[in-house]
Amino acid sequence: MRKTLQSGWIWRLLGTAPFALLAGCTAASPEMLAANDPYEPTNRQIFALNQQLDAIFFKPTVQRYLSLPEAIRTGLHNVLRNLAGPTIFVNEVLQAEPGRAGRTAARFMINSSVGLGGIFDPASRAGFAYHGEDFGQTLAIWGAGEGPYLMLPLLGPSNPRDTAGLAVDTFILDPTNYLRLKGHFWWDAGRQYLNYLDLRSQTFETLQGIERSSVDYYAALRSLYRQSRDAEIRNGAPARTQDLPDF
Amino acid sequence: MMQPLVLARRALLAAGFMAAMLAPALAADPAETFVAQNIQRGLGILDNKGLSKQQREDQFEQFLLGLTDMKRIADFTLGQYRRTASPADVAAFEAAFQNYAAAVYRSYFSKYAGQTLKVTNSTLRAPTDYIVATQLVDPTDRSSQQPLEVDFRVRTDGPRPVVVDVSVAGVWISLEQRDQFVGFLGQNNGNVKLLITHLSDLAKQFKS
Repeated sequence: MRKTLQSGWIWRLLGTAPFALLAGCTAASPEMLAANDPYEPTNRQIFALNQQLDAIFFKPTVQRYLSLPEAIRTGLHNVLRNLAGPTIFVNEVLQAEPGRAGRTAARFMINSSVGLGGIFDPASRAGFAYHGEDFGQTLAIWGAGEGPYLMLPLLGPSNPRDTAGLAVDTFILDPTNYLRLKGHFWWDAGRQYLNYLDLRSQTFETLQGIERSSVDYYAALRSLYRQSRDAEIRNGAPARTQDLPDF
Repeated sequence: MMQPLVLARRALLAAGFMAAMLAPALAADPAETFVAQNIQRGLGILDNKGLSKQQREDQFEQFLLGLTDMKRIADFTLGQYRRTASPADVAAFEAAFQNYAAAVYRSYFSKYAGQTLKVTNSTLRAPTDYIVATQLVDPTDRSSQQPLEVDFRVRTDGPRPVVVDVSVAGVWISLEQRDQFVGFLGQNNGNVKLLITHLSDLAKQFKS
């Protein structure tokens, strides 16, 4: 059973300080506070901008990407997951999960060698199935609260804890940061773009279905993000049933 | 001469004792039995190629209404606005929600037609309030991926068990709908009539 450290005041301070400015812009209604979304008007404006960018640029790109043969998309998906292996490993060590860290290390070694640089995924067939982990989850295990809901430009749903986690994963924990490459910026930019393309293509149909069936797509995504992040942090363990609302 | 009879009686007693010990462990609770018996039937309707699209939709809707407590779910999804809405609006919302949910749930679950459901365990959250954990296994999947975890929240406080929520990969659908509807009402001055109109439009779009 995983143990979380006690939430400290420092996490709350770190989580809320950068957003105090936003709080001054709007008076949060009781509904916004109940939804832990005190910056909802600003978040909705950013969401509208993201939706426009998505419609103009990303959706057509993803649709073209989806027309590629499935084998190519699967290969790229596998390579990107394999590149994330070391970051996942470090986070599992930081979370004191030696069993999971060992499986991630084994998976990385098998797929990098037998899987030809991660194009193929023989590790899954050998019993080392993929599982994700990131520094946002590590912070949660260490006891950091999620903080208020945030809609980030281009990056979408988040919160202060997961935003900080993303920055640490991208700029500190990813070992490719420490490789001396010519044009390192373009390597990073290209990889992030492919990561986005891959993620968007994996969720394309599901998100389309949710958008089509939603009366409030923004609120639907907010709920889905929170619930799925909670499930990720629990690593698939059942939720505390007492946390569920009464019917 | 008595020895074989004594042995036989002891063996019978031992067998009876073992059966009594094992019975509680083997007997599934009513919620587990309910899910195991019914959900596979629903997936079977969605996978029945012998039915026309319309027949499949009608049968699944009937199946869904018999399995769930739509009124209870509808009232839950209104959140705090349930207390302030007029009885007429609540009744109209419950009817609109039923149509909407039937269309949307059919769309959600049609993706899993042809898959096999396996009940893995259940938890008693409160008296008559169970969480039944299941896994959906796709017999055609060769990707070595983990089976999809689907949990059912079952209430047994009525004349028959009913499903009040479903969680797919950790996301509870009724909870997501409540967050969505409350978000919508918060943006629209708590106008339940407007929500009803939107739900009716969406149900029509899904059915067309």
